[in-house]
Amino acid sequence: MPAGAWAVPFAVGEGSFRERGRREEASGTQDPPSRGLMAERSLGRIDDTLLVREAQRGNRAAFEELVRHYDQAVLRLAMHLTGSEHEAQDIYQDAFLKAYKSVANFRFECSFYTWIYRIVTNLCLDHLRKKQVRKEEAPVATDPTGEQYDVLEQVPDARAGANPERDLMRRELGGRIGRALEKLTPRERMVFELRHYHGLKLRTVGEVLNTTEETAKNTLFRATQKLRGALADMR
Amino acid sequence: MKCEWVKENILLYVYNELPDDARYELEQHVARCGDCSAELKSARKFNALLSELPVEEPSPNLVTASRMRLQEALETTKQGGLWQRLIFDPGVWLRQIRFAPALAAAIFIVGFAGGIGATYKLVGGGAGVSSLSSSSAGRPAESSVMGIQSISQEAGSNQVTIKYNTVSTQEAQGSLNDQRIQQLLLFAARNNYNSGVRIDSVDLLTQQANDTRVREVLIYALRYDSNPGVRLKALDALGPYVKSEPRVRDAVLEGLMNDSNPGVRTEALHLLETVRADSSVRAVLQRLAENDPNPYIKAQARTELSLLPEFD
Repeated sequence: MPAGAWAVPFAVGEGSFRERGRREEASGTQDPPSRGLMAERSLGRIDDTLLVREAQRGNRAAFEELVRHYDQAVLRLAMHLTGSEHEAQDIYQDAFLKAYKSVANFRFECSFYTWIYRIVTNLCLDHLRKKQVRKEEAPVATDPTGEQYDVLEQVPDARAGANPERDLMRRELGGRIGRALEKLTPRERMVFELRHYHGLKLRTVGEVLNTTEETAKNTLFRATQKLRGALADMR
Repeated sequence: MKCEWVKENILLYVYNELPDDARYELEQHVARCGDCSAELKSARKFNALLSELPVEEPSPNLVTASRMRLQEALETTKQGGLWQRLIFDPGVWLRQIRFAPALAAAIFIVGFAGGIGATYKLVGGGAGVSSLSSSSAGRPAESSVMGIQSISQEAGSNQVTIKYNTVSTQEAQGSLNDQRIQQLLLFAARNNYNSGVRIDSVDLLTQQANDTRVREVLIYALRYDSNPGVRLKALDALGPYVKSEPRVRDAVLEGLMNDSNPGVRTEALHLLETVRADSSVRAVLQRLAENDPNPYIKAQARTELSLLPEFD
């Protein structure tokens, strides 16, 4: 089936849904959302509820509509966590199939948004745990100064930018940050990822990870401390 | 003591997670304390440094590929919660029954033809069986089409390939102007069980919306299709005819009043902007402005009404 079948133009819906993930982020670090945005958001929630009820009755089109509301945010999160489009796609597939199979058991005790994030973060946590085990067997080489480095990280990025020197700097910086993030425990990484890079409020992070806001807060502290230690020379 | 408290809370301050009063207190202290001010600066700098690792948006290609892969998997996946499946739901039952007449007719015709064939065999020594198979070779009789499997258009041309099932899957190829292709598209838009195929066929038919037969099918899709994507596509294609054709206008009005999807309703509302002075449109707008449960539609209907010139 061609892409057009998914890209349904929604006069109100699409615009607000597309932006919703980003706005959710924005509200985390900026002013409280405007009244218009609140109304739009509550409209989205009402729409979600209807769609979820339809999906629970076995309406696949309604479920696909729900997928469209959240799938870009899911891909963004999975891509940033795994650093690989391919793995992000696998997480996407597993998450929505799981959601489809269990949507009938969704009891509206939390928002659908939280529920779907819960599924995705669980899959991502599994992925991070497996990766940590694999990392011990990763191809590691030693450079002339005796420092170890990951061979795979030295493979050049094919996307050439306008300013190669700055690109190189950025990539090196990005690489260092990425490596520092990988040293966190999967749970610390997830809390940090959701709060810092995806702008979820700590309360929501707690809900998503089935824990309290307080625990999420402490985990964020620990993660930041570790990162500060790992990147001390860059400050 | 104060400095300690500030240092404990500086991270929450940077992430905008402090309640207002604590936030104010912290700001007051930092304005007076050099150490804490330096600490805050350093925390902000570190925060900015970590943001140097960009969060990339997934490319449209990746999104599309992921959606397609998921959709394929969904086709073969069963939903859980078996007891829920078993509960009788008249809504679902009605939706399913909507496509049943075509299937029932097809089964009936196949059975009938089979019966006649068998009778001929008994009476005339097997002379008449070929009547059933000959129709499937050339132009497909609507009754012999069990369902449309897929529709695709070659990029840059108006050549269309349609795979459809009779007893076995067949393929038809031709230009959009070809009568046989048109017939199959019309059939697909009305009868197919796969919403992807319906959306494809409606999409292609929109290129020919000046044909009254095509418009009929688009109106049918707008009224009865279970997929909001299909309904929206049909709605968009019907847009230019809202002004000139009362039937189209009625269908769009009906969509505006009764569609379950707010996106479809909003689009219908926009389409009707050009004919808002029409009495039927006016009446509907008034009803929506008074008591529509959707606040956006209600507000829009009010705006539309306010734009109308005052009569009497």
